[in-house]
Amino acid sequence: MSRSTADDGALSVHRRLMRLGVAESAVAEPWAERDTSVRAVGAQLARLWAVGEGDGEPVVTEKGLPHSRASVLNLIVTVPDDAAAERVVATMLGLGFRHPSRAIVLVADPDAPGPPLDAAISAHCHDGHDGTDRACYEAVVLGVRGEAARHLSGIVAPLLIHDLPTYVWWPGDPPFADAIFDQLVEMSDRVIVDSGDFADLLVGMRRLTTLRRRSGVGDLAWRRLGWWQELTAQFFDAPRFRRYLPNLNRLAIRYAVPAAGSGAASASPLAGAVLYAGWIAARLTWRRHRTVGPLTNGSLRLSLEGRHEMVDLRIEAVPTDAFAPGDLLSVRLRAFGETGAAEFVIERSGGEAVVATNADGMTALLRRVTMEPSTEAELLAADLLNDRHDPIYEEALRAAAVFLSAARPIEAGG
Amino acid sequence: MTTQPKAGTARHGAPPHDATPTSGDRNPLREGLRLERIPEPCTMVIIGATGDLTERKLAPALYNLMLSGFLPPEFTVVGFARRDLTDQAFRDHLRAGIDEYSRNRPASASIWDSFSSSMEYQRGEFHDAAAWAELAKRLDRIDRDRGTAGNRLFYLAVPPALHPEIVRQLGAAGLASSGALHGAGRKGWSRVIVEKPFGSDLESARTLNRQVREVFDEEQIYRIDHYLGKETVQNLSVFRFGNGLFEPIWNRRYIDSVQITVAETVGVEGRGEFYDQTGALRDIVQNHALQLMAVFAMEPPIEFRAQDLRDEKVKVLRAVKPMSPGDVAHDTVRGQYTAGWVAGEAVAAYRDEPEVAPDSETESYVALKLEIESWRWAGVPFFVRTGKALPARATEIAVQFKQAPLALFARAGAPPMEPNILAIRVQPDEGILLRFGAKVPGPGFQIRGVNMDFRYGSSFAVDSPDAYETLILDAMVGDASLFTRDDEVERAWEILDPISAAWAAGEGGSLHFYDAGSWGPTAADEMLARDGRAWRRP
Repeated sequence: MSRSTADDGALSVHRRLMRLGVAESAVAEPWAERDTSVRAVGAQLARLWAVGEGDGEPVVTEKGLPHSRASVLNLIVTVPDDAAAERVVATMLGLGFRHPSRAIVLVADPDAPGPPLDAAISAHCHDGHDGTDRACYEAVVLGVRGEAARHLSGIVAPLLIHDLPTYVWWPGDPPFADAIFDQLVEMSDRVIVDSGDFADLLVGMRRLTTLRRRSGVGDLAWRRLGWWQELTAQFFDAPRFRRYLPNLNRLAIRYAVPAAGSGAASASPLAGAVLYAGWIAARLTWRRHRTVGPLTNGSLRLSLEGRHEMVDLRIEAVPTDAFAPGDLLSVRLRAFGETGAAEFVIERSGGEAVVATNADGMTALLRRVTMEPSTEAELLAADLLNDRHDPIYEEALRAAAVFLSAARPIEAGG
Repeated sequence: MTTQPKAGTARHGAPPHDATPTSGDRNPLREGLRLERIPEPCTMVIIGATGDLTERKLAPALYNLMLSGFLPPEFTVVGFARRDLTDQAFRDHLRAGIDEYSRNRPASASIWDSFSSSMEYQRGEFHDAAAWAELAKRLDRIDRDRGTAGNRLFYLAVPPALHPEIVRQLGAAGLASSGALHGAGRKGWSRVIVEKPFGSDLESARTLNRQVREVFDEEQIYRIDHYLGKETVQNLSVFRFGNGLFEPIWNRRYIDSVQITVAETVGVEGRGEFYDQTGALRDIVQNHALQLMAVFAMEPPIEFRAQDLRDEKVKVLRAVKPMSPGDVAHDTVRGQYTAGWVAGEAVAAYRDEPEVAPDSETESYVALKLEIESWRWAGVPFFVRTGKALPARATEIAVQFKQAPLALFARAGAPPMEPNILAIRVQPDEGILLRFGAKVPGPGFQIRGVNMDFRYGSSFAVDSPDAYETLILDAMVGDASLFTRDDEVERAWEILDPISAAWAAGEGGSLHFYDAGSWGPTAADEMLARDGRAWRRP
């Protein structure tokens, strides 16, 4: 972790985060206080949206008047380091109008010297699509140091809007065993991570499968697959193609990894591809059978036991700088039917994809559809719309962990 | 054919046409995705495809549905109209509509090229049986080539006067039957979407319904009222039946009166000829306003399914007390705007609009007091008003609650306590507002009304689909919940026909004039004042 002194680190993080406060959308004077108290922060939050304090004016107002708002959720964001601060700022600004609620951005470091609590508050409104509605939210940035950082629930809980679901977004590689992470999970209804950020994908996925007993789990790597899943499901909506499902015998997935020598980095670009494979396998009740090609340079090959056929699962890493690391590049599903082989293909090219069905000896159904990559803010916004456990994800996750475990290279196993 | 439930609701048995011998009737990969059911492969035939509706509404709706991934890959469009167009010219016509009116615009070139390759055009006169036979052949060919499995959705984008002839021709060409076999013992479905107006009185509505039903079963007919496709109207059901708080007070015991407002700022906007023959009562009250009232006032349906919902809605309409000529004079006000100013712009008088008769008696404003004679609503007046050239565009339902039984905080000289209001805004600024009294801080008990305001746009910053997208998708999936059934249409006319008859006979009170840019004739205010009530200013 690159950090100068912890104190300076926290300050520069604050400076970055305060860009939230000077953004165009800000509607109130940003407020910041070093060495403050939870009570002072709470009082400031209560004052934030009040109009003409104390003169009896209603705070909640009708159309067109300032700052009418409804709250939907609390979002707690942890900022483990400077790099994460940059990312959090960019994402929170991008989240903008999709997030009409309270965000608490936490920079917690039990080992840092300095005052236990710094706080900054900013308030934002974004115009909606037709310019008539404004969605407002406030961001509270908390720097927590020393012993206080080991008792986060006492600091964060009083600042949450009561009775609303609470989401924790942990960018980067979550410290599953850390007490801080633990406390936040306790407080949350849903923990949102990005398994593509995990330093060790298999370990991380296994941890996630146990986490789900305590909290809903959202995974931005899974959200990224949404459009691929939709297109894949569409192949089999038509009854005449659905009958190929039990006879699938090959699934080939290609995904992007950084080209050699490029600066792009991603901790676990394999996450999306293996989750996609886990999704199909879980839905179609395929089971692991044997390892054909252990994980090498991001590629792997397994033999699975399908419904009527053995299934050849191939995941192939393709070095490229044309796509973000981890993005899926193509998916090919093949089946044998009464009238010969059928193939279902999604092939990405730039911001579009070609989707094709070749089956029944019929003219191939060939379509071009949009395939714009989603920003992290869009993925996060999509995940914030969910407030439940997602059993489909959890089953895919378990299957993905099984595949990863099966494909471990021998020397790294055990 | 049975009615299928909407995605995410309880399912009852297998959908009728999906069963295949080798797999279950569901796609296991669709579980947990946005829509648990997307339409089966089908062809949509737009009849009157060169018209305004196609360009403004249908083309953008189809394009956005495709972008969102809601259309099956086999989906095919056939345009049918009189004009002589090539396939390419037809595609260009659709694309022009998307580029101008779609919420996603302009159309992306390569995506459009791919999507539009599934669009064809057929020229034909509506009375020419040969053209329809040719259409039938074309649809059979599309079924073979593209795998649309005999499923057809006919969209009648033509004036209602043409509906009977077109429907007759569809029947004669064998296109209306949902019983044709299409391989492997499967039957394709055939559905028809018709646009309002559904007749101009009870007699004409019955005739039209009868003519359409000679060819199509009621389950195949989708009468579109785009108001019902709006999110807020659907949210009204969620508000009532998804919460435990409101339903217990949703009755005569707690509610004093209900006001339904559909206010427009525009005048007749080039529809002078049509509007002058129609008037506000037929144009707005018959469908939008009465539908809003029915959804607001209905009993909880047994299930959230088309049949149950529409059963409940029609029960409300059947309970509306028909008016005698004396009631019409007492409980209705009709108005027509004179010259004035709306939003800073001069507006000509209604009678000076193009294609409007200079001595026209057509109402551009109407206010009604309706009574629903049911156990739930007896004695609660429903005030309905709609008008053109009003100062603000607003559609809302406002509930006025009964006063507290004792005025504990009354003070000498103080105004009486304001009633509690719950206002459900449909457009613009979709949302819900609750107005209640709060104590002004300080000594004594000074009470002021405050608003608690919830707005969908500021709570769920998600792009709402256009009403046409929702409705076309529903029709493809076979969910008729948001469409109007024949008995609803006919009952609405039974309520309104005595009113137009009394007006026409000169027994229902005279036509009142109001300045464009005002909230309607003062007679409408007096009608409420007689009851000790006043219109809300939305």
